[in-house]
Parts: sequence; C-alpha cells; structure tokens
Amino acid sequence: MHELSVAEALFAACRDELAARGGGRIERARVAVGELSGVEPQLLRFAWEAVVADGPHAAATLEVDFTPLDQVCSSCGPVAERQPGSWLRTCPGCDAPLTLSGGGELDLIELEFEPATAEVAHR
Amino acid sequence: MKRVNRVNRANRANTNRTELRKKILAANDAAAARLRQRFAETGTLVIDLVSSPGAGKTSLLEATVRRMAGELELGVIVGDVATELDAERLRRAGCPARQIVTGGACHLDARMVTDALDALDCVPIEVLFLENVGNLVCPAAYDLGEDFKVALLSVAEGDDKPFKYPAVFAKAGVTVVTKIDLLGHAPFDLAKAGEQVMTLNPGARVVPLSVFDGWGMDAWCELLRGELRAKRASRTRLAASEEPLTNA
Repeated sequence: MHELSVAEALFAACRDELAARGGGRIERARVAVGELSGVEPQLLRFAWEAVVADGPHAAATLEVDFTPLDQVCSSCGPVAERQPGSWLRTCPGCDAPLTLSGGGELDLIELEFEPATAEVAHR
Repeated sequence: MKRVNRVNRANRANTNRTELRKKILAANDAAAARLRQRFAETGTLVIDLVSSPGAGKTSLLEATVRRMAGELELGVIVGDVATELDAERLRRAGCPARQIVTGGACHLDARMVTDALDALDCVPIEVLFLENVGNLVCPAAYDLGEDFKVALLSVAEGDDKPFKYPAVFAKAGVTVVTKIDLLGHAPFDLAKAGEQVMTLNPGARVVPLSVFDGWGMDAWCELLRGELRAKRASRTRLAASEEPLTNA
C-alpha cells in the first residue's frame, strides 16, 4: 500500500543522482527489494509508472531485483533448503536455532540516463 | 540488459550507467536519525506501536495511562487515516495526545512525527508512544527514531500472523499478544505464535496480556520501567563521555 510513497522517494533519489551528474533523462532505474522490506515488487512497478508519467522521464523503466533473506545457522551457515516465504524453525543439519540475515534491502542500485549534453546535441 | 531494445538506439550510445548503493528511504532515515538524537538528549523512551486495525493499540495505551498515571509522564502521537477519535480517547484517559490524520496514507513517517512533536507542547515526556496506522505491512519500512517497535497481535486474529507478516515481527523488539482473555474462545495457540515470533526474531520478547481483566499488565508496565531505566543509564553514560551533551 505504501509503494506509491516508496516510488516517489525513489524517483526523487534518481533525480538527485541525475542532477549530481549534470542532468539529463532517466532511461532505467534498478532497485534491490528485500524479502523483508515490506515492498511488493509488482506494486512498486505500477507506482513507478504513475510517478514518472507525463514528465521528462516518462519513458524511464524500473527493474526490480528481489533479494531473499537467509536463515543462518551459527555452525552450518545459510540454510540452502529455504525458499522465500517459508520459515524453518531450526537448522535441518544440526537442529540449532537460526537467525535471519539480509532481506531488508530497499536500495537504488543502478541508474541509466541520457546525459543532458547528449540531449542538446540530438536536437 | 533485456530492455535495451526499448531504448532509442540512436540515444543508446549516449547512455550513461552508474552503479549506486543508495537507500530509497534515505530522507526518512535522516529525519529519523535527527529525532533519535533529539530523544537521546531528552532521555525520552520512544516506542513505535504497530499492529493490524483492531488489535488493541489504543486500548493498551489507555490501560497503560491508567496504570502509570502519577508515576511516569506518558505522551502519544497517534496516526489515523481519517479521524481524531483515538487521540480523543487518550486525552480522556489523561494523556497528552497528538493526532496525525494521514489523509489516506497507510503509515507514519519520520517527517510526520517531527511535525507532530513540534506541536505537542506539554510537560517533558518520559515515555512517548508512536501509535502507528493500523497496518501490518507498511509501517515496517519506516524508521521513526524509536528505541524499538512493539508489534501487537490479538488472539482473535489467529496464531499464524507472524509468518504472514514477517517484516513487522522480525523488526519488533517486543510482541504483545493482546485480548488473552479470549483464549479458549478463539482457536489460538500461544506457544505456536511465540515460536513464530522467535523464529523471525530470536531476541524478541513476547508479552501476553489483556486490558479487559488486566492479566499481564504488570509485566508490560515493568518492561516499560526497565527500558526507561536503560535509556536513562545510556544517557548518563553519553553525558559523561562527551560533554557537553547538546551542540546547541
């Protein structure tokens, strides 16, 4: 439900990065969305289309990398058998308790843009 | 690079690509860090209360205010999509309360809390509750400068809520199981719920209680006292290590 707020923050972050590099037009943004981030990738894509619409970056696409978390055993390491959305109570190898690692990502990890100078040259 | 052919090929040669590692909610995180600094200076214990609608956040706060009146100065900033009803309830219970009507937004963010805090002019608050909008998904993503989150799970909701909404329960330092007087009337396995919480967050504490008959309220109030003592102790250590404390 808050994907619109997240998309607005993402769009602002992209424009900040773009401005720091001399401006231009955003072509593609890539984000990492963790399993525990509370963000639904499909809803974020819809929200992104809404926030970039009708502006200079309307053609900008969004790529979402979903990053699952690991359940980690202190002796055996990350549990390979775990699937996203399922939860193991204890380590399948040694029955020890598990801790969670990662999955909280909500990061802008890549930006592709056409620089402002190139845009001028095309006209 | 699957989307290359969606980009005008003439422009393609001019595309710049930059790798980044930037938190999307960095602006909220920065506002939350400023709040946390402010609360450290005043020694205020701050708790973000999160649950689905109807789990009993406002009722727990009313009961807490009634029990701790005269002992601790409590304050509440309460988020609601459309009404002032919760703040009115809390003010009737005798607690300074500031309502944030989010106008449809499904969560509180650090900027909303900052604005509400500026307007909450009252006696110094020792324990400040941030009663989030009833929602078990979105509030998990937003740092409000709190010391810890408390997730509420009511017996009537079912014992599988933690695994269904893992982000909130993984982040909450405390899970309060509310309406425990309904055990026996609703199919709810307290051990199972507790096990799910501990799987998501091995360091979590689980506090079952009922504001209806008061069962468990002593343990809840004792938890608050203990956390406030710990906060004050860390404030004293902070003051001793880096005087002057404020840079104002």
